Amino acid sequence: METRYLIVGASHAALSALQAIRMQDAEGSITMVTRDDALPYSPTVLPYVVSGRSHPSRVALQGDSWLAENKVDFIRGAAVTSVDAAARRASFSNGKQIGFEKLLLATGAAPALPPIPGLKDVKFHVLRSLDDAIGLHAALPRTKQAVVLGAGLVGMHAAENLAKAGAQVTVVEMQSRVLAAYFDADAAAIIETAFAAKGVKLMLGAKVTQVSPAGEAVRVGTDKGAALDADLLLVATGVTPVTGYLAGSGVAVDRGVLVDDAMRTSVEHIWAAGDVAQAKGFYDEAKILNGILPSAVEQGRIAGMAMSGDAALKPWPGGVPLNTYTFFGQQAVSVGSQDAGEVVRKEADAKHYLKIVMRDNRLTGIFGINAPFDPGVMWELILRRVDLSSVREAFIAEPQKTARAIMSRTWR
Amino acid sequence: MSAVLKPKSKAIVCDGNEAAAWAVTLARVDMVAVYPITPQSSLVEYLAKFVADGRLNAEIVDVEGEHSVLSVLHGGTLAGARTYTGTCGPGLAFMFEPYLRTPGLRLPIVMSIVTRDTLTPQSVWGGHQDAMSVREVGWIQMYCETVQEVLDTTIMAYRIAEHRDVMLPVNVCHDGNYLSYGAARIELPTQEEVDAFLPPPATNWHAALDPARPMAVDPLTGGAGGAGPALFVGYRKGQCAGMQNALAVIEQAHEDWARVVGRRHAPLLESYRMEDAETALVTLGSMSGAGKDAVDAARERGERVGLIKIKTYRPFPVQAVARALAGVKAIGVVDRSVSFGWDCGPLYQDVIGALQFTARHPAAMSFIGGLAGADITTDHFERVIERIRALAKDGQAGETVWLNEKD
Amino acid sequence: MAAYNTIAFKPELCNGCNACMTACATVKTGSPDHVNSRIQIVADEAGFELAMCRQCGDPKCVSNCPAAALAKDGGNGVIEWDGAKCVNCLLCTVGCAFGGIVYNAAAGHVVKCDACGGDPACVKVCEPGALKYLTTANIYREVGDLEDLFVPGLSGCQGCNTELIMRHAMRRIGPDTVLATPPGCIPGMGSVGYNGMTGTKVPVFHPLLTNTASMLAGVKRHYKRQGREVNAVALAGDGGASDVGFQSLSGAAERGEQILFICVDNEGYMNTGMQRSSCTPFGAWTSTTPVGERGSGKTQDAKNMPVIMMMHNCEYVATASTAFMEDLYVKLDKAIDASKRGFAYLHIYSPCTTGWRFPSQENIEVARKAVETNFVMLWEFDPRDGLRLTRSLDNPQPIAEYLKALGKYRHLEPEQVDRIETTLQKNVELIRDLAEGRRPAMAGR
Repeated sequence: METRYLIVGASHAALSALQAIRMQDAEGSITMVTRDDALPYSPTVLPYVVSGRSHPSRVALQGDSWLAENKVDFIRGAAVTSVDAAARRASFSNGKQIGFEKLLLATGAAPALPPIPGLKDVKFHVLRSLDDAIGLHAALPRTKQAVVLGAGLVGMHAAENLAKAGAQVTVVEMQSRVLAAYFDADAAAIIETAFAAKGVKLMLGAKVTQVSPAGEAVRVGTDKGAALDADLLLVATGVTPVTGYLAGSGVAVDRGVLVDDAMRTSVEHIWAAGDVAQAKGFYDEAKILNGILPSAVEQGRIAGMAMSGDAALKPWPGGVPLNTYTFFGQQAVSVGSQDAGEVVRKEADAKHYLKIVMRDNRLTGIFGINAPFDPGVMWELILRRVDLSSVREAFIAEPQKTARAIMSRTWR
Repeated sequence: MSAVLKPKSKAIVCDGNEAAAWAVTLARVDMVAVYPITPQSSLVEYLAKFVADGRLNAEIVDVEGEHSVLSVLHGGTLAGARTYTGTCGPGLAFMFEPYLRTPGLRLPIVMSIVTRDTLTPQSVWGGHQDAMSVREVGWIQMYCETVQEVLDTTIMAYRIAEHRDVMLPVNVCHDGNYLSYGAARIELPTQEEVDAFLPPPATNWHAALDPARPMAVDPLTGGAGGAGPALFVGYRKGQCAGMQNALAVIEQAHEDWARVVGRRHAPLLESYRMEDAETALVTLGSMSGAGKDAVDAARERGERVGLIKIKTYRPFPVQAVARALAGVKAIGVVDRSVSFGWDCGPLYQDVIGALQFTARHPAAMSFIGGLAGADITTDHFERVIERIRALAKDGQAGETVWLNEKD
Repeated sequence: MAAYNTIAFKPELCNGCNACMTACATVKTGSPDHVNSRIQIVADEAGFELAMCRQCGDPKCVSNCPAAALAKDGGNGVIEWDGAKCVNCLLCTVGCAFGGIVYNAAAGHVVKCDACGGDPACVKVCEPGALKYLTTANIYREVGDLEDLFVPGLSGCQGCNTELIMRHAMRRIGPDTVLATPPGCIPGMGSVGYNGMTGTKVPVFHPLLTNTASMLAGVKRHYKRQGREVNAVALAGDGGASDVGFQSLSGAAERGEQILFICVDNEGYMNTGMQRSSCTPFGAWTSTTPVGERGSGKTQDAKNMPVIMMMHNCEYVATASTAFMEDLYVKLDKAIDASKRGFAYLHIYSPCTTGWRFPSQENIEVARKAVETNFVMLWEFDPRDGLRLTRSLDNPQPIAEYLKALGKYRHLEPEQVDRIETTLQKNVELIRDLAEGRRPAMAGR
């Protein structure tokens, strides 16, 4: 079959691109293909499927009627296996080939499995797909001893869910603190304290040296000498962009698919967006992986506009690391870079944390736990490089209020 | 008002204004717009009375002036209506703006001109100056000689105007005072006869402003480049073709009408006692009766004189006129109006133009009479005959003769 | 994209009383604690500002939600939060650049404005009028669903509001219409088309400048005779209505022809190069009332067309302005309805960016100033109820506010301004007297 726009993947970047295309091109044929046999969903919702907060039947980001309204030919359960850039043709695991005029790669990322001896010989869980989440959710009630490898967002969410389900949980993390990508040691300490209070054991700065079967369970050996027996092992040591199908395609891949500021790959008619893409960072020109949901939405939109020739396209401003994390009813928010400036305010106690980083009177990062500020407004201040010199003291003292006033005056 | 008549009566006595009103009634006109003006006023009154009496089933629009009279009819006709009005003199002048536009829009409106001399000098009496002043606008013009011809021609006018090969407005001209007020016994056709002759009204096939078939009427057309010039020429040529097509359609209408009612009027021109004629009078409208009397008298004296009455003045039946006058030696054209630029009558201009198509180019002279209600009597025609008798001998056409100059 | 009702904020009118926050918190939580208010007024040295949900057209909170817990309601435009789906991840707060969706500790989840179902509590308590609930968008939405009866690409001048008037009026009036657009800006921008091409999707024609109402009378009467319901509508300029077209207009009004006659008044012959008409106001520069050694703009007052038409005892007469679209639409509906019974005349003011000499982005503001200074008064008339004001004439802005906005008045001497002021006061008095019954508008029916 042939299509004008072929989108592989069906999560945030894909849907956002699709909407942008339809704003510009109401009729051009769009085919969206996803490896999952499910309606479009977000990987971000999976921890909540694990916990039971979200039922798998209610996580669809868009339903059939929306897809029909937008005249999308939606094909489920077909993973892309190769791309022939010259012939403008992609092949899929269901044996189909689809010719395209323009292709968007939004294949996301897959769990990165660490090279731990014995891992392939044991049963373990990962959490990236809806099926993974459903499996993990089903395993919760019978789990007594759980080991989670990795203290990133996925691992920490899972640890909390397992703990709440009554399991004895141990998190093994190579780095010296949890959520190292988003929080410094003081902030991480608040989170670690909350987990410890709920009985979750955090083995930080520890490395798993070997895993082996132990009856129905798995024995996890670490460099700290302890051997942990787990009836559930979750490997959450990060993700890596899904790019294997691009081998030989001519599309340039580094860690992810390299894209320019309009999300175009090294090949004329192929774009990439979301977790699979490696795009410019905000703080310097180096291309980075910034696999976060807001970036996927924005990159998808840009890619869709570029693909459909929307003249209103504004180039990608660069990826800003940011995230929100709720744990045991507490909120941690991280916007921007920890080290792209000087710390102008920092305070931390057992329950609260706030850090503001600025450079040349411009905000470069703000981080808080249980500290009220509007992350979206802050992100905008960073992206716009708003000069805060006239309100510097007020901003440092009352970031939320001051930022809101600036917002209301400038981009209301 | 003249005798009130039983609708089934075949013979009535009425004047030309009432005859026109009867024709409008029998033609089942959908819409009449009116504004009174002497000597047309009684025509409007008859129409209003016929509507009030339920005899004429038409939308009657009493507007605030002649400009709106014709404008209302433009709208009605563009919506598919069969329409009618009448005017003259200053009223015609006031409606000139929409009048000028009517043929270009190809609207088959029928309008009586109850001819009246134009201002100034101030005058309320008959004369052809009003109708002659608009002869180049693109309306068909037919001039009636008798009350009967007023009635018959007004009915035939719809057949002509609405004909697909024509699609042009028609002026039926009848002379102010002489025909407007002159009563005569006429045959009134039955409704069945008229229905057999005319297609049904409001057939809507020419309606251009219909939400069921949206289109723009009269977008800007022309300009120096693009599609405009050719498009404009196409419209103009089409209009001219419609005018020329009218000659045959008029003849056919008269033929068919004669078949229905047994009464025959000459469609383009009437040749009266023209066999072996050496001289000829050319006349227009009600004066023709006196002209024929004068011809009869001359013939009794042995003079070989005849008369051509022009019925259809626009389109001008050039070939028919040339044929009719090809054999004579001298021609006297009697006008009831003037052409200021040529110092002669306008019909005279047309006749001498047509004579270019004859082999012998007979001599012709212009006579002007009957201005502002003045009578043209047999005596006047005697003088014309006498003058062209001399012209036939010496070929010396003198200056225009003003017949009433010394009355 | 659809337009929706919206809560608008004018910071310059806000006095920081915070009644809005009290009202919101009370309505939403039962407690007046401002921390629970979904509208947040922030005060600083420069004044008061607002953080609140903008109900964005392309909401990033929605696209950032991994759980499909947020969705924009296509009917009312409100972005709705579904507590049953929300997973408390706070990614919506990252998407919102307006502080419009925030975590509320007391509630234990994010909260946002829901416009109180179309009757926002905050607006009702805002005494200084800084908060307004604008429902104009509703009209646009409704009309936007109706077919646009003109082709795209009509070539009006930049910033002209006539195209807005045309398109919206015709959408409302509908396709069973015969439209007359006498010579002027309206056909000039291509509504009747060029060289065999049309610019309108209903039957449309150029009448003569002089005979619009008469031609429409003929059209309407014949369709009525045939039992067909066809609207006869004129979109005419002030020249074609008040000057050379006035006789036919007056005649049709007197006869009660069932016509909707919309006069788009730009105070002169703007299409032909800005010559004066009888609707040109005193003092105005036009190309035939130029300013020079001895000339100083028009030396006569404008003809008061709407009042003259009212004196015809028409079925409906109203004035309207594109700065007050809700008012315009109410009148348009009434005029359409009245035109099924008799003559309806709608006089809509149309500031001319080109001919009045003001920046093209100012059109609606100029229209608004005209009304706020009483230079243009908004009223309607029908023979049963007489004249009724649809906007108060009290507390007008000084006329100078209007005059100084327009290049065509730039040359005015103080005594000319005085005369404009005097005429304005007389006109206001006349309309006020008519509205308050001190003078009868017409003999009632």
